Amino acid sequence: MLWYKAWLETRSRFLTSLATLTVFCAVFVHHAQGILRPEWTPAYNRLLYIAQQYIVVLWILAVVLLGMGGIVREKATGASLLTLSLPVSRALLLGVRVGVGVLEAIILAVVPWTAIFLVSSHAGMPILVSQVGFYVLLLVAGGLVYFAMAILVSCLVEGEYTAPAMAFGVVFLTIIAFDAWLRPLNLWRLITGDFYIDRHTYLLSAHFPWLGALACLFVSAVMLLVSVKVVQRREF
Amino acid sequence: MQLMQQIRHAAETGALRDGDQLPGIRTLAEELVVSPNTVAKAYSELEHDGLLELRQGSGAFVCVKRRTRSLADHVQAARRRLGDLIERLREEGLLDEEIKRAFEAELLYPAGIVRKR
Amino acid sequence: MTGTPVIQTRDLTKSYGGVAAVRGLNLSVEPNRITAFLGQNGAGKSTTIKMLLGMVRPSCGDGTVLGKRITDAKENCEMRRSVAYVAENKPLYGYMTVEQTIRFASSLYSDWRTNVAKKLLNEYKLPLQRKVKSLSKGMRTKLALLLAFARRPELLILDEPSEGLDPVGIELLLQMLVAQASQGVPIFFSSHQIAEVERVADDICILDNGRLLVNASLDHLRESYRRIDLVFPFAPPEYEFQIAGVERIHSQGHEMRVFASKNAEAVIEHARDLNAVSVEVAPVALRDIFLETVKEN
Repeated sequence: MLWYKAWLETRSRFLTSLATLTVFCAVFVHHAQGILRPEWTPAYNRLLYIAQQYIVVLWILAVVLLGMGGIVREKATGASLLTLSLPVSRALLLGVRVGVGVLEAIILAVVPWTAIFLVSSHAGMPILVSQVGFYVLLLVAGGLVYFAMAILVSCLVEGEYTAPAMAFGVVFLTIIAFDAWLRPLNLWRLITGDFYIDRHTYLLSAHFPWLGALACLFVSAVMLLVSVKVVQRREF
Repeated sequence: MQLMQQIRHAAETGALRDGDQLPGIRTLAEELVVSPNTVAKAYSELEHDGLLELRQGSGAFVCVKRRTRSLADHVQAARRRLGDLIERLREEGLLDEEIKRAFEAELLYPAGIVRKR
Repeated sequence: MTGTPVIQTRDLTKSYGGVAAVRGLNLSVEPNRITAFLGQNGAGKSTTIKMLLGMVRPSCGDGTVLGKRITDAKENCEMRRSVAYVAENKPLYGYMTVEQTIRFASSLYSDWRTNVAKKLLNEYKLPLQRKVKSLSKGMRTKLALLLAFARRPELLILDEPSEGLDPVGIELLLQMLVAQASQGVPIFFSSHQIAEVERVADDICILDNGRLLVNASLDHLRESYRRIDLVFPFAPPEYEFQIAGVERIHSQGHEMRVFASKNAEAVIEHARDLNAVSVEVAPVALRDIFLETVKEN
């Protein structure tokens, strides 16, 4: 029932984000359909590339929101002493929360892009499944770093509103930092596909950046491990 | 304690008769909302005094013997005498509260005995 | 009836910064008893309970609950399977309905009693489909207590259970408590309601400023604590009465009141030796035992 609890906790955030993303995508494509001709495929691909950027922003915001919660937050709402008296380890509690969040994050990446795919096909401007897959994979592999960061912040910071404020602050800072100093390692550009876009066809070419994805997953794993340690040491 | 006194009083006045069964420890504890250990202790002390018979598996049964009945008579007589004494003390001007404290004090630490050494 | 203590601590200490919330606690809670934990606000009761359940780490010292070490995370987690605990603030999940809360709790504990849960739901008149956050305070308290009473744990720990309950609720609470005790469940509860404690408790622990000052059965306290009122023909010699067992002495004019936790006979003898004009002895109610114990500290 721990999974059910985590689901109940994130349900409204998840469904709202899902609705927002999907509606946005459908509208975007529908709008694009109105101003493009089939022969303008590169232009359409460019629009998809732009769509990804919007999706990335919304997705990261959603995923950071999904990473909020947990026993540290429950301390503020007064429920922590119930959760902590349960016969489950703190690591398991965090693990379930992360598991539910990751699943929700994946769905939040897949569903909107599926919507784009379906709407595009229906509108007579089919896009390659491989392209959709590429975008989704980039989003999830790279973007989960932000989810892991949100989890870590939720374990460190008390207060119902302080934690999300801090998490969003970190997102904002990383955007600036990546743009200003860490160009080669720009996570943002990795996720949006900036590194792999062919400027002529606006298709994601080149191979999928397995190394980059692995590096991101590694960083995420490290942050999650630190979160576990933080939560285990904390006193309530 | 209070529970024991109540059971004794009931036995003396005949409200509880020989052979009557008292509720089980658990039932009585839940009814009176007191610790089951309190009931258990009361029952075991009453058994020690001979007023109750605790049968394994069946429960607690009252044994009002001749001794108890005559004890009841003694208690009745003692109460009459106490009643007279209390009336006299009141006439001498003592308040009920003072009388009560004097009784408690004497019961706990009789002045006569301590002084004798 | 003594066996292995269900709770046992050895020099349990917790300091926050330089302030000790709990000092050198050597607590022993026996099985098959109802043990009440008394203390003023901030005396360290909740901190002690939290240390027992792994929510707070002791600064030093150790303890066991049901034989499992409290400082070992794994053993502590295992122990929590058989311990039912309701914290002072009666914690619940606001976003769950009453029914979801019950399903959640029942899924995590093998000692859950569905029939008892149903009975309590009816008695407490809790609306199944209502979300916890829209329940009144009294109903939330009842639900939080239900989560513990619908189980048959090996130990029941309650922190200020009657807080937030009206008199009817308190009566129901005590009935549930006694019902659990009748089934052999040892109960460890902290309370400010001395009257209730006197009714149901077997053993009393008094905590003050982090120290355990009293750990005895209620019967023993009733038999040994005495209030001795003395009147002397001269100014009462307080220093003469600093003997073993004397907890506190108040004097005013020619009168002296001695609170003794034991050895009352020695005090009386001494008073007579000193030619006391009047010696009156009375038993001490639990409320006064508590007040005198924490005042003196």
